[in-house]
Amino acid sequence: MAPPPSEMESNPPDEATLIDEKLLHATVKLNTLLFASVCGVIAALTLLLVTYASLLRGLPNPGYYLGLLGVFLPGYSVSAEGAWIGMLWGALLGALFGAIMYRVYARGIRAQVAQYLAGHGTREDIAHAVMRLHGHSLGLALGLVAALGLLVTTNWLVVRGTAAESVHAALLAQYLPGYSVSTSGSLIGAVEVFVIAYLACLLLAAVHNRVVAWRQQRAVP
Amino acid sequence: MQRLKRADRAVMMAGFARMDVVALAVAMGSVFALALFSLTVALLLKGAPPGEHVGTHLGLLGVYLPGYTVSWGGSVLGGIYGALAGATLGFIWAVLWNLSHFLYIALVLIRAHWWRMLSE
Repeated sequence: MAPPPSEMESNPPDEATLIDEKLLHATVKLNTLLFASVCGVIAALTLLLVTYASLLRGLPNPGYYLGLLGVFLPGYSVSAEGAWIGMLWGALLGALFGAIMYRVYARGIRAQVAQYLAGHGTREDIAHAVMRLHGHSLGLALGLVAALGLLVTTNWLVVRGTAAESVHAALLAQYLPGYSVSTSGSLIGAVEVFVIAYLACLLLAAVHNRVVAWRQQRAVP
Repeated sequence: MQRLKRADRAVMMAGFARMDVVALAVAMGSVFALALFSLTVALLLKGAPPGEHVGTHLGLLGVYLPGYTVSWGGSVLGGIYGALAGATLGFIWAVLWNLSHFLYIALVLIRAHWWRMLSE
């Protein structure tokens, strides 16, 4: 309900409502692209290096377990050419999950803008501004991506009819009580993974922001 | 240079703030250390059926992390490895994030400079 005219005249307009929507959307769009690129590069290099590490270890059956990723990533195997195919898959999936993650994280960007407007950080110059992580938004973003990942991979095993043979995937039940390689099991597992990822992100953000604050305090003469 | 509105400046600060490389490395190192330590300890506390080894599959991480085993000592070593891996990942992540912003802003400035030169 709109406040009475006299009240509206006495209160200055809320600065958060003065946000340039075009600027905000452009910033989120650019950061989504950049975050997706960073995630893609990291996932691609990780899969490439892990595959080569398996090959170079020269075990009797190199990368048997890692090779199971081929179930989800067509063409991937623990071999020289499989490493490069894995790198492409890593880039693609890393970028996709990175984009989803940043989009969800950016839903909390208004809260961060409001924080800056409320006085936290307004004295900092843009060039010297240091990012603070928003634990709740990060938790929602990573939790969603992790839960989605578990749902998709488990149900892929169900759809291709190898759920009963997926003994390795079933081992997740050691950590996720109630999880099984089935649709209902994947739902239970997804909820548990979401909670774990959410809590991990709260811890990550708390430690990160505390270290940032500590370093900034030390930097002030 | 035109002075930015306070609200616009806040949007720019939320979107373009620099990532503290050390802070992310410490934070990710802490979370990864706790994760690998907890994963190992959880298996040790649950135990294994008689005649079987505890954590045969998790123990395969020893392929990548020399000396790591699913044991109490291994959980501490796993925590140290987790801290190192997390810190490295956090460091790389923050550097890439800052670098991507730096490159983008540099590109925008070069393009603006180029157009100004052309128009003059």
